[in-house]
Amino acid sequence: MAARILLVEDDPSIREITTLGLTAAGYEISTAPDGRAGLALFRAEPPDAVVLDVMLPVLDGLSVARAIRAESSVPIVMLTARTDTFDVVAGLEAGADDYVRKPFELPELLARLRAALRRTSDASPAVLRLGPLEIDEGGHSVRRDGREVTLSHTEFRLLAELARRPGQVLTRDLLLDRVWGYDYLGDSRLVDVAIQRLRSKVEVDPANPQLILTVRGAGYKASRPDPGS
Amino acid sequence: MLRGVRGRLTLTIIGLVALTSLVLGVAAYAYVATSLRDQQVEAARDLTNFNVSVLAAERVPPGTARDDRRWKSLVDAFTLRGVTGTVVDFGDGDPFASGLDATSDFRQLSPSLRSIAEGGSIGYERLTVDGRSLLVTAARRAPDEPTFYFFFDASEVEGAIQRLGQALAVGGLVLVLVAAVVARALARRLLDPVRSAGNAAERMATGDLSARLDVESGDEFGRWAASFNRMAASLEATVAELRAAEARERRFVADVSHELRTPLTALVNEASMLKEHLDDVPPGGRRVGELLVADIARLRALVDDLMEVSRFDAAAEQLQPTEFDLETFVRAVVRAHAPDAGVAIGPHAGQVVADRRRLERVIGNLLDNARVHGEGAPIEVAVDLTGDVRGKGELLVAVLDRGPGVPPDELPLVFERFHKADPSRHLGGSGLGLAIAREHSRLLGGELTAAPRTGGGMRFELRVPVTRSLPMGDGTVTGDEQAGAALEPNTETAT
Repeated sequence: MAARILLVEDDPSIREITTLGLTAAGYEISTAPDGRAGLALFRAEPPDAVVLDVMLPVLDGLSVARAIRAESSVPIVMLTARTDTFDVVAGLEAGADDYVRKPFELPELLARLRAALRRTSDASPAVLRLGPLEIDEGGHSVRRDGREVTLSHTEFRLLAELARRPGQVLTRDLLLDRVWGYDYLGDSRLVDVAIQRLRSKVEVDPANPQLILTVRGAGYKASRPDPGS
Repeated sequence: MLRGVRGRLTLTIIGLVALTSLVLGVAAYAYVATSLRDQQVEAARDLTNFNVSVLAAERVPPGTARDDRRWKSLVDAFTLRGVTGTVVDFGDGDPFASGLDATSDFRQLSPSLRSIAEGGSIGYERLTVDGRSLLVTAARRAPDEPTFYFFFDASEVEGAIQRLGQALAVGGLVLVLVAAVVARALARRLLDPVRSAGNAAERMATGDLSARLDVESGDEFGRWAASFNRMAASLEATVAELRAAEARERRFVADVSHELRTPLTALVNEASMLKEHLDDVPPGGRRVGELLVADIARLRALVDDLMEVSRFDAAAEQLQPTEFDLETFVRAVVRAHAPDAGVAIGPHAGQVVADRRRLERVIGNLLDNARVHGEGAPIEVAVDLTGDVRGKGELLVAVLDRGPGVPPDELPLVFERFHKADPSRHLGGSGLGLAIAREHSRLLGGELTAAPRTGGGMRFELRVPVTRSLPMGDGTVTGDEQAGAALEPNTETAT
C-alpha cells in the first residue's frame, strides 16, 4: 500500500510540482495551503509522514509541528528557507525529525521521506531492555516500568540503536546513517536535538541522564546494565 | 619631555629671558663698576694733588736732604689723611717707604706710571697683591724733586663691585629658573588645544568618530576646534549613513535571495521533472528544455551562494566541530565535486576533529573552481596533516589545476566576490565560490592562498588548524564493523 504523505506548503507552484513528483515516486499525497488547514487535514486523514513548510500563513509550521507531535509519532520533515541554527534547531525542537533546505530538489526530499518512513533497520525485531525501559522493536513501543512512553518514530529508532549496543559509543555520523539515512555530511544537530527530546521522555532527570549518556567529542552511548542485576 | 613644539617653545622662552637678563646684568654691572672706580680714582687724585702740592710743599721745602726727619712726619701726615701706604722715590734706588708691604708693592708698579709722574701729571694704577686690591697714584712736585707714590686700599670698592656681580648673577639665574617654570606652563597652556586635537584625531583614526574638541575660547584655537568638530560631525554622519546603506544593501541581498528561494524551489523541481520527461518533448522544444534545466541549476547555485554570503555578512555563522576520518571525508568530497580528480593522501592523515561542513564547502568550492577553469585537464588534490599524532595539528589541502592560471596582478583579486578571471568567458559558476571558500577558511581559523603552479595552472592551498585523534578504540562503533583497539593513526575504518 502506498504511503500517505501530507504536504503543507503555501506556495501553489511548489505544492503542485512536489505533488507531481511525490505521486510519480509512488506516494499518495494530500495537500494543505496553510497551517490550520494542514492540522485539520492531519486529524481528518492521518498520514504516514508530514512534509511541513516552516513559514506558513494562519498557523506557522513550528506550531503545527508541536501540535502534531503532541498527538502522534508520525515522521515530520520540515521545509526550511534557512539553515541558520535558529530555524533548524527551533524546528527540530518543535518535533520535526528532519529538514530539507529550500531550494530543494525532489530526490533530496524523497531520500528524507524514505529514511523517515523506514520502520526499523533491524531484520530481526527483538525486545530490548535499557534500565527500566522495555523496548519492543516489533510492536514499535516503549514501556517504562510497564507504562507506555510515546516516542516519535525517529526517537524510537534512535533509542533502539543505542539500546542494541549498551556501553558502546555510537558516533553522530553512525547515528545519522542508521536513523536518518545520511551516508555523507548529515547535520549533527539532528542527533543532538533528537537525543534531548528522547531524554526528556525516558530519563527521570533529563539534565542528569542515566540511560543515554554523552561521550564528549565522540557521540552517545546507552548505559550498561548494572553488573549486579 | 622637551621634544616637539612644546619643548621648542619652552626653550625659546627660557633662552630669551636668559639673554635679556644677561645683557641687562652685564650692562648694569659695567656701569656701576666703572662709576664706582672712577669716583675712587677721582678722590685719590684729589688727595694726591693736595698731598703733593699743599702738604709736601708746606712741610718739606725743596732741597731737603733725604735723611731729614721732616720726610717722616710728612708721610705720617699722609697716613692720617687716609693713605694706606706711601713711597717716596728719590731716584737713587733706595725709596723711602711707609705702610704695609709698601716697598714690595712698589716694585710691582709699571714703568709707565713713573714716566707719567715724571712728566708732571698725576698717574694711577690698579694693583692686586695677594688678593688685596690697591689703587696707586703717583705724582711729583718738580722735575728734580722725589716722586710720591700713594697706595689706597681698594678692596672695599672692589668687594662691593664683586658682590654686585654676584647679586646680578644670582638674580639672573633665578630669573631664568622662574622663566623655565613659566615657559613650560605657558607652552602647555598654549599647546593644550593642539594636544587635545591630536588625541581627538588619534581617536578618530582608531574608529571612534564621536571624538570632539572643547571650544573654550574665541581665539584661533577656538575657531579651529569648532571647524574640527564640524568636520568630525560630518564625517561621523557620512560614515553612519554609509554603514546604514551597507546594512540595508546586505539586508536587501539577504531578503532577495531569501525571497527567491520559494519560486526557485518550484523551478528546481519543475526542471528536474522536465529533465526526466525531455524525451517526450518534440525535438523543436527539447533543446530549449535542456537549456532551461541547465540555467535553473545555475540560478540555484547562484542563489545558494548569495544566501551563504549574506549569512557571513550577518555574522550568523557558528563552528560545529565533529570528529571524522580525513581520508574518507576527502574522497567523498572529491566524488561529489570532481570525481575524476587525482587524490593523494599523505601518510599522516587520520581521525580529526573539525567543522566538516565548512571544510566541505572550502574544498568543494576549490574543486568546482578547478573543474570550471581547468579546461578538462586533470585536477589533483593533495591532503596531509602535520603536527603531533594526538592533539593540535594542521590540515593541509592543496587543489591543483592545469587551467590558464591567473595573471600575477590579479592573484589578490581571485577571492573577491564576483571576480571573474576572464570577463569574456562564460564558464558558469556564481563568481562567489572562492570568496565563500575564503570566508569559511577564516572562520575555521585557517588560511586559503592562491599561487601560480609551476608548469601552468593554479595551486590553491588551505591550511587549517585541527585537532587530531586516534580512531575510537574501546567500544566505539564507527561503521558496520567496530574499529578495534587501533593504535596506528592511519588505520582505515570501513564506513
